[in-house]
Amino acid sequence: MADDNDVLAAFLTLSATLTGYSQFRLLGTGQAEPYLATTRGAVGDDVLDQLLTTSAAVHDKAADNEEALDRGLRAGILSDDKLGPVARNVIKMWFVGTWYQLPQEWRDAHATREPDVTHVVSPASYTEGLLWPTIGANPPGAKGQGYGTWASPPLIDVP
Amino acid sequence: MTLRRITTVEDLHAYLHIAMQLEHATIPPYLTALYSMHPTTNADAYRVIRVVAVEEMLHLTLAANLLNAVGGTPDLTAEGFVPTYPAHLPDGETDFEVGTRAFSRDTIETFLKIERPALAEGDGRFVARERSSRALLPGVDAHEDDLHFYSIGEFYAEVGEGLQRLYDEMGDDLFCGDPARQVGAAYYYSGGGAIVEVTDGASAAAAMRVISEQGEGLGGTIYDEEGELAHYYRFQQLLLGRYYQPGDQGGTPTGPPFEVDWEAVYPVKADAQLDDYREPGELRDAVFAYSATYGEFLTRLTEAFSGRPDLLLPAVGDMFRIKELASQIIRNPMPGAAGVNAAPVFRGLAPVEVS
Amino acid sequence: MPAQIDHAEAASIVYDALVVGSGVSGAIVARSLAERGLRVLVVEAGPGEELSVADYETYLTRFYGAAAKDNNAAYEVNPNAPMPRSPDVRRLQPGHPDSTGYLIQNGPYEMDSTYTRVLGGTTMHWEGKALRMLPEDFQMRSRFGQGRDWPIGYDDLEPYYRKAEFELGVSADVADQTFYGITFPPDYEFPMHGLPKSYLDQLVARDLDGTEIRLEDTTCTLSVRPTAQARNGVPNPAYDGGKGYVPVGAVSTHQVDEGGRCQGNINCVPLCPVQAKYNARKTLAASLQTGRVDILTQTIASRVHVGEDGQISHIDYQAYGSTTSPEHVTGSLRARMYVLAANPVENARLMLASGLPGSNGLVGRNLMDHAYLLTWALMPEIAGTMRGSQCTSGIEDLRAGEFRRRHAAMRVSIHNDGWAWPTGSPYTDLIALVDDANAYGAAVRRGLVDRISRQLMLSFMVELMPEPSNRITVDGRYIDALGNLRPVLSYSLPEYTMDGVAAARRVSRRIFQRLGAEDRTSYDPLDTGYVGHQGEGYIIRGGNHWAGTHIMGESSHDSVVDVHQRSWDHPNLYLVGPGSMPSIGTSNTTLTLAAMSFMTAEHIATELTTRPTVTIGG
Ligand SMILES: Cc1cc2nc3c(=O)[nH]c(=O)nc-3n(C[C@H](O)[C@H](O)[C@H](O)COP(=O)(O)OP(=O)(O)OC[C@H]3O[C@@H](n4cnc5c(N)ncnc54)[C@H](O)[C@@H]3O)c2cc1C
Ligand code: SF4
Repeated sequence: MADDNDVLAAFLTLSATLTGYSQFRLLGTGQAEPYLATTRGAVGDDVLDQLLTTSAAVHDKAADNEEALDRGLRAGILSDDKLGPVARNVIKMWFVGTWYQLPQEWRDAHATREPDVTHVVSPASYTEGLLWPTIGANPPGAKGQGYGTWASPPLIDVP
Repeated sequence: MTLRRITTVEDLHAYLHIAMQLEHATIPPYLTALYSMHPTTNADAYRVIRVVAVEEMLHLTLAANLLNAVGGTPDLTAEGFVPTYPAHLPDGETDFEVGTRAFSRDTIETFLKIERPALAEGDGRFVARERSSRALLPGVDAHEDDLHFYSIGEFYAEVGEGLQRLYDEMGDDLFCGDPARQVGAAYYYSGGGAIVEVTDGASAAAAMRVISEQGEGLGGTIYDEEGELAHYYRFQQLLLGRYYQPGDQGGTPTGPPFEVDWEAVYPVKADAQLDDYREPGELRDAVFAYSATYGEFLTRLTEAFSGRPDLLLPAVGDMFRIKELASQIIRNPMPGAAGVNAAPVFRGLAPVEVS
Repeated sequence: MPAQIDHAEAASIVYDALVVGSGVSGAIVARSLAERGLRVLVVEAGPGEELSVADYETYLTRFYGAAAKDNNAAYEVNPNAPMPRSPDVRRLQPGHPDSTGYLIQNGPYEMDSTYTRVLGGTTMHWEGKALRMLPEDFQMRSRFGQGRDWPIGYDDLEPYYRKAEFELGVSADVADQTFYGITFPPDYEFPMHGLPKSYLDQLVARDLDGTEIRLEDTTCTLSVRPTAQARNGVPNPAYDGGKGYVPVGAVSTHQVDEGGRCQGNINCVPLCPVQAKYNARKTLAASLQTGRVDILTQTIASRVHVGEDGQISHIDYQAYGSTTSPEHVTGSLRARMYVLAANPVENARLMLASGLPGSNGLVGRNLMDHAYLLTWALMPEIAGTMRGSQCTSGIEDLRAGEFRRRHAAMRVSIHNDGWAWPTGSPYTDLIALVDDANAYGAAVRRGLVDRISRQLMLSFMVELMPEPSNRITVDGRYIDALGNLRPVLSYSLPEYTMDGVAAARRVSRRIFQRLGAEDRTSYDPLDTGYVGHQGEGYIIRGGNHWAGTHIMGESSHDSVVDVHQRSWDHPNLYLVGPGSMPSIGTSNTTLTLAAMSFMTAEHIATELTTRPTVTIGG
């Protein structure tokens, strides 16, 4: 995947499947590029490339069949020693803006890269975490919903 | 639309309705600039614009109070209440465009023009020139030929004087509106500037003072009576990179300096229209949903200004949601236009087709 | 810059009063004195560049970017004027003090309470509950045979509570706050109306209101009541005999429009992003307007000197230029009256480090804090958890009654922020879903709602009586970057309190049963706060309500300060703040200490204005 745009597109496709949020919503956080860069920094080009290539293959093969996609994803990525932990990290990053250090087992087996430490990607990635809108809340300390809104039932965003 | 100088209560209603329209008309441009900034960057610039936007909301509310006080009926859902951007404002010699555009030096220059200080006294406030069909300020009618207000400040000066003339004529009868329709401090509260319930001549004058002075700094001073810095100078701080402090002269602020990062901005499509989103898909849905939400917000405000001031509390909640939706749109690329991002459209509820 | 003055100039002036500490205690004293025409210098150990929104927002951005969002996450690490941080706390080995954090923990119970050393003090990150104490709380000894009586009663403090409610900008409604002996003058109104109950509160109230619980021989009828809060709500036009109240917005030297109403950012601790919540900078900013207050930040009062006559002669200071370097300058400051308002731990530390343990040796003793027991459950339906301010309602009905002869009273808060405090939710929930439950896509979204939006957490704030053995000391082995002695804490939880804790756990079970909520409370024996009591184990958290250490009393034999918070030993020295409280009942301390500060300022002003005025000299 030479072209940057293709890489980003592949990352978004995978991310949409992993998070259950549409590409519009993912782009709407403004965090797609920083998250891609964070993943690349933490796992390196090769692992990222492998993750996205595998994802593309799984998506292609499943076409629009959700069940096939689910099986393919579990078999090809989520239960894969190398790719599974990275995919799970991508999910968590979208939801709370934090990159969690990969399990020691993974680091021993694949790579110990300096950027692979638990950190908040940026102050904006914290406020743009998808966890908050999912539960109809706001990230603590930002985007307050307005005086008195807490008295009404939450506007929950579940598929 | 043309207006005559204010001689009847109906004239005053018309002026105050336009005042509301005018105060509202600045909000979408200010909000678009605000939302186009990258999150958590440009804290100073963000704050400066936000303050002004919030105060425009205050002015809008004050104009509604004035209109209600003299027996008028605010309606933010009226056809044409929301202008189509770019809209035009008079600038003495030539009209200039006000649009919904990304935060930039040019955008701030335009904001300065919107908030330009009033110059003239009395009849000097009108200038003769060609009118644009998209002008936001009305022309002034008839025997005085094709006259325009030089600035928003002059427009308000006319409202103020008209109010006074009618008050002199009619006395307290002028304030025949139902006091229950007034929005008071219980439901409108913001850090800058106070809401005024309008029930008589004195409170009407106080409300007018907030509207006109906070905006443009009438009479050449940069701070108003309450010590609030006029909007014109607030925006100017962004171009000069320095805050004003009390005692300063216009043009030479001496407060703390600050940085503006003109690059930390999403390049949103200027003056986006619903027509720009023809391609079916999530972006189009989001833009239309946004526009509808904005329309619902205006409906809610209309109800709030019609005897339900308590509805302003949920309206604040609406504002927060509007911002979220706008931000999502703004961070998405505009399909087919490299290097351009999508932008929300402030249209209000889709116009009903009449056959 | 708040400092319109430099250290050399300040050192050349003999102020009417020197106030050590810019927290709410010091700020109120400074403002009140200055408004009475007196000249005041405030020295603040921590940083605070300017009273501006930009300065404030640096804190906010630091908080957003912090991976561990603890109490003090918004504030930079400052070795020159360090502060305790809750993650500092480690499990204690008997006989081995833990010196990893700023506080040396001598045990046996290791406390995770914190405070903040920055301009504005701990109110920068307090939560903002603004409760009056109950009248019976002032008479613990005579009514219940426990603890101590105050030398004053509720009625003496009542007028000052009203001043405090004005200063802090309290939102509440009198009808909701009139309980268990608390009275208000006729026609009293709070500055702002109470904040609406959260949706979660409403669900709890629906089933819980009217439930009867027995504590010993006392029958308590529970009801969910809105909590009085020092955060901006809807101004009450009837306030002050119809004059109304103008909420105080953000502190700033140039104009901004913030500090509006509480928006429900659920982040009062550690930092309210819009300054809807009171913080002492609001009082400091007002005090600066008098033109008679000077503030020196990054200036540590390092030693209090006593002259031959027993009066304080001067206070030494250390001023540092940068939080990253221990370089500093020193000097001495003089005033006619000295006010230590550095909080209970730091007041005691400074006195002890100055070799002033008090003629009766009581300085540093009788340290108190509320013991918090957290219990948590899942509501049977979606409750919209994680919205609103941290708490909008609580249960006041377990605070009063004859049972206090036998065990501690307790106050319950219903937490809108879910299980964040006990379990680290929602982060831990996300991690569990993704890493353990192997959820992805829509399942994560549904799982998050299912796990988080139903969370109910009740915190039981259990009272604690003054015990001389609970104390702050100093020890030459432990010093900070500038060579100041660090506080050493010895602390244990008395039986009286632990019996209250056990009762609290029983009550929480009853409440969850009544609500049909799934009790998910569990206490890990490896946790630093784990305490065994009569065969059961509990995790007790610090309440952040440091009090005692210089308690007030009627006699110089058994107390450190008199009713005016004036030192018995040194007539021109006042030790103000929660350190003076002889008991803390089940109220968060701040409203009470604010009231006491007003009372004390009135007294100091009277003392000063009946004597000759300001001398300025070199
Ligand atoms: C997380 C948390 C939540 C809380 N929530 C509530 C609540 O909801 N309701 C409530 O009533 N209370 C609450 N509290 C308690 C409340 O914050 C404190 O009781 C109150 O702020 C104490 O005020 P103070 O002025 O006495 O001390 P502080 O606010 O601690 O101020 C002392 C100041 O003195 C300075 N100082 C210290 N040493 C020196 C020195 N040697 N020289 C110069 N300056 C010095 C410090 O830097 C600090 O600024 C909470 C506390 C915490 C930590
Ligand atoms: S809930 Fe939020 S807005 Fe309200 S006081 Fe707390 S932090 Fe501030």
